[in-house]
Amino acid sequence: MADELYLENIDEFVTDQNRVVTYKWLSYTLGVHVNQAKQMLYDYVERKRKENSGAQLHVTYLVAGNLLQNGYVCHKVAVVREDKLEAMKSKLSTLASVHVYSIQKALLKDSSPLYSTDYDIVKSNLQHCSKFSAIHCAAAVPRTPPDAPRAPAQSQRGPDAASVVNGHGPPAARPPPQQQRGIMGMFAAKAAAKPQDTPKETKAEAKEAPGVSATSSKPSIKNSIMNNFFGKAAMNKLKANSVPEQLKEEKEVEKPSVAVAEPESSPNSVAEKPGKKAESARIQQKDKRSKTKRTDRSDDEEERDPENVKKKRKRIKQLQSDSSDEEADIPPSPTREEERAPSPPLVPALKTELEPASTEGSAAGRKRKRKRVLKSKMFIDEEEGCMGKTG
Amino acid sequence: MSHAMFSEQAAPTAQGLLAPPSAEPPTFPRVPVSGYSDCSQPFQLGERSFSRQYAHIYAVRLAGMRPGLERCARKQWGNDIALRKLSELQAGEKCCVVGTLFKAMQLQPSILQEISEEHNLVPQPPLPKYIQPSDELMLEDELQRIKLEGAIDVQKLVTGTIVAVYGSEQDDGRFLVEDHCFADLPPPLPWNGPSSDRFVLLASGLGLGSVSGEALLSTQLLVDVVTGQLGAEGEQSCAAHITRVILAGNLLSQNTQSRDTINKAKYLTKKTQAASVEAVKMLDEILLQLCTSVPVDVMPGEFDPTNYTLPQQPLHRCMLPLASTYTTLHLVTNPYQANLDGVRFLGTSGQNISDIFKYSSMDDYLEILEWTLRAGHISPTAPDTLGCYPFYKSDPFILTECPHVYFCGNAPHFQSKLLQGKEGQRVLLVTVPDFSATQTACLINLRDLTCQPITFSGFGADSEDRDIEVGH
Repeated sequence: MADELYLENIDEFVTDQNRVVTYKWLSYTLGVHVNQAKQMLYDYVERKRKENSGAQLHVTYLVAGNLLQNGYVCHKVAVVREDKLEAMKSKLSTLASVHVYSIQKALLKDSSPLYSTDYDIVKSNLQHCSKFSAIHCAAAVPRTPPDAPRAPAQSQRGPDAASVVNGHGPPAARPPPQQQRGIMGMFAAKAAAKPQDTPKETKAEAKEAPGVSATSSKPSIKNSIMNNFFGKAAMNKLKANSVPEQLKEEKEVEKPSVAVAEPESSPNSVAEKPGKKAESARIQQKDKRSKTKRTDRSDDEEERDPENVKKKRKRIKQLQSDSSDEEADIPPSPTREEERAPSPPLVPALKTELEPASTEGSAAGRKRKRKRVLKSKMFIDEEEGCMGKTG
Repeated sequence: MSHAMFSEQAAPTAQGLLAPPSAEPPTFPRVPVSGYSDCSQPFQLGERSFSRQYAHIYAVRLAGMRPGLERCARKQWGNDIALRKLSELQAGEKCCVVGTLFKAMQLQPSILQEISEEHNLVPQPPLPKYIQPSDELMLEDELQRIKLEGAIDVQKLVTGTIVAVYGSEQDDGRFLVEDHCFADLPPPLPWNGPSSDRFVLLASGLGLGSVSGEALLSTQLLVDVVTGQLGAEGEQSCAAHITRVILAGNLLSQNTQSRDTINKAKYLTKKTQAASVEAVKMLDEILLQLCTSVPVDVMPGEFDPTNYTLPQQPLHRCMLPLASTYTTLHLVTNPYQANLDGVRFLGTSGQNISDIFKYSSMDDYLEILEWTLRAGHISPTAPDTLGCYPFYKSDPFILTECPHVYFCGNAPHFQSKLLQGKEGQRVLLVTVPDFSATQTACLINLRDLTCQPITFSGFGADSEDRDIEVGH
C-alpha cells in the first residue's frame, strides 16, 4: 500500500512530468529520509526494468571510495552515469558508497541538470535544509532574536577613539554581533519611537507624558515583532545598498539609539525630544551623505513593485518631504492618513499642508518624513480617483 | 600510521542503499565540538590609523625576533661568539649579526618607476616570478645596512626575513657570510588532541561567481557529504565525525572583481549589479546549508569583499543574512588561529605564500610553507610587496608558538607533510588546493594529525576521466 504509493509517485515524476529525479529532490518532495529516497529510487529502477526491460530509464550513481592520485590516497566522490559505473568502481581501491543518485528519462550529456534540480529544491526549502539528512547537529541553532537588538544598552561607546593600541581595538568591543545589533538597534529605536509619535501628533502636547509612558511599555513587547519585521526587510535592502555606509554610520547610530532607547527607562518627553532631535540630526547628516546613493536606491525601488504599490499611498501624501533614507519599512500609520484625508486632494495643497505639519512636529515627525523621493511623478490619487502629476 | 579514513570504515555498508527501502534509516548525531577557542585576537584590528610609516613594523619585528635569533646563533656557533651590531663591525673580525634582509630586485614592480614621466615606461606586466640572477641581498639592522655575499642563497630568500649571519666584514665594505641561521621552529604547544577520530574539513577557493559550472556541482557534492546527505550509511556515519569546516578564502571568484562600472558611462551601468552581489547570495545559501549541520569558520581571501591589507578582517554578517542567523557560522580573520578540540590551527588564505613565491626561487608551496615556519614569521614580505597594516607596537605575524596544524589556502594542488621538530614539535603542514580548479578539499584527522584529500566530480560531455591535475 504505502510501497506502491512511492513507486507510483516516482513513475509519475519520471515518465509523465519528465523530470530529473535526484535522491535529494525525492527526499524533499515526499518528505522522507535521504537514504530512504535513495532506496526508493533503486527499488523503482529494479521493478521497472523487471517489468519492461526496454523501459526508457537512465540512472546515475554516486560512487565513493579510495583512489590513488598524485601519490596520495584520496577519497573520491563521483557522480557517474550507469554505463561508467563499473569502470569507476574498478578504479577505486576501496569502495565506500554506492547508491542511486538520480533517474531520468533522457540520457544526460553532463551533470548540470542534476545540479539545477538539487539547487532548485534546496532553494525552496532553505529553512529546513538539513531536515531529511542523515546527520543532525545539536549545535546548529538559530540565534535568538532578542540577542540582536538589545545591544544599545550595553554598548556605551564612551571611549570610542581611546584605545588605538597598535591598531587593535578593544577586542570585546567589536564582536560581529555588535555590528548587527547596531543596525538592528537603530531600527529598534525607530520602532520604539514611532508608536510614540502617533499619539503625540493627534493629542495635545500636554498629554504627551502619559502618552509616552503608556506606549513606552508597548515598544518593548512590540520590539521583537518590529525587529523581525525590520530585520528581514531592512536587511534585504541594506545588503544591496548600504553596507559600507552602515559600517561607517554604525558607531554614530549607536549613540543616538542609546539615547532613544532610553524612553523606556525615563518616560520624560523632554528628555526624549532632544534625543530624537540628535538622532534625526544625525540621520539628516547621513541623508546628506547618502544623497548620491539616492538615485541608485530609487532605481531599486522601482523594481520592487509589490512593495511600491503599498508605499505609494503614503508617499503621495508626503511628497517632497525632507529627505530620503535607506530604510523605509515603517509600518503604515493609519492615523496619519486619516489626518490627511480631509485635506484638499490637489498636490500643491498637500504640499503646503505638509510644510507646516513638518515644521510643527519637526523633531518628532521628522523621522517619518524621511521618505524616498518618488522618481516618477505620476500617482493615483485615492480620494478623487484621478491621476495627478506633480510639478 | 593507519589511514583510518572514510573508505575503510565505510566499506562494509557501501552497497547498503542498493536495496528496497528499509524501515527506519539511522540518523547520526554530529560529533560535538569539545573545545573551541578563537585565538585570532592579534589579527583583529579595531580602530585603524594609517598615519604611521611602515618603518615601525620592521623595527618591532627585529626587536621581537632578535632574542630568539641570538639564542639560535649561540646554539649553532657556540656560546662565545661575538654578537655585533652593524655599527660596531670591525673589518676582518668574525662575528654574528642579526638583522632584516632586504633583496634588491631589478624586476620588482615599483610604482615610482611606473608613473615616472622621464622614463616613459610602459607599466610592467605581472610576471609569475620577479627574481633575476642580478638580485642582491642586504642586511639591515636598526641603524645601518650592509651588502651580503657568500654562503647565503640570494635567490631563495626574500625581503623582510630576520636572519642571523656569521662571518666577517671585508675590506670593500661587504659582509662575507660563512653561515646563517633563522629563528627555526617556535617552541611547541602541549598536545591535548582527541583520542577518537575527529575530522576537520579544510577547503579554499570555492570561487563562486565564476562562469564555470563544473565546480558548482562539486561544491554541492562537498556540502552534501559534510551534511550527511550523500553516501551510504557508513560514509554518513564517518561524516558525522567531521566537527568543523574551515573555508580558507577566495569564496568568491576572481571574475567578481571586474570593475567595469567605473570605466563605463553611468547610463550603461545604472541597473547593473556588481558580480559579487550574486556570488555572495550563492555563498549565503551554501553557508546556510553547511551551518545547519556543522560549525563553519569562514576566512576571507584575496577576492573576497573585505579589506585588502593583511590581516584581513572578517566578512561582515549583513552580507550573509540567511547563514548568520546560526551560531555555527563564525566569520574569522585571515590569518586565522584557533584551538579546535585541543589542536592548535594556524593558517592563511594563501596570499603570504603566493607572494613569497613571486620573489623567491622556491617553487613548491609546501616548501615555502615550511620555510615560513622555520623563519619564524608568517609573512616576511609584508609590507614590502604584500599589503599590510602599519603595526607599530608589535608584529602579530611573528610565530611565537608552534601550531599543530599550519595551512595555507588556494594552493595549486594538495600537499601535506608532518614535520617533527627538535624540541618535540609536531606540525602538520597542509597546502589546501584551490577548489574551483581542483575540486579537492582536505580532511584532517585530529587524533593522529593525518590528512587526506577528498575529490569530487561529476560527468561531462567530453571526458570520463576527471582526474584533474593542476601542474605548476
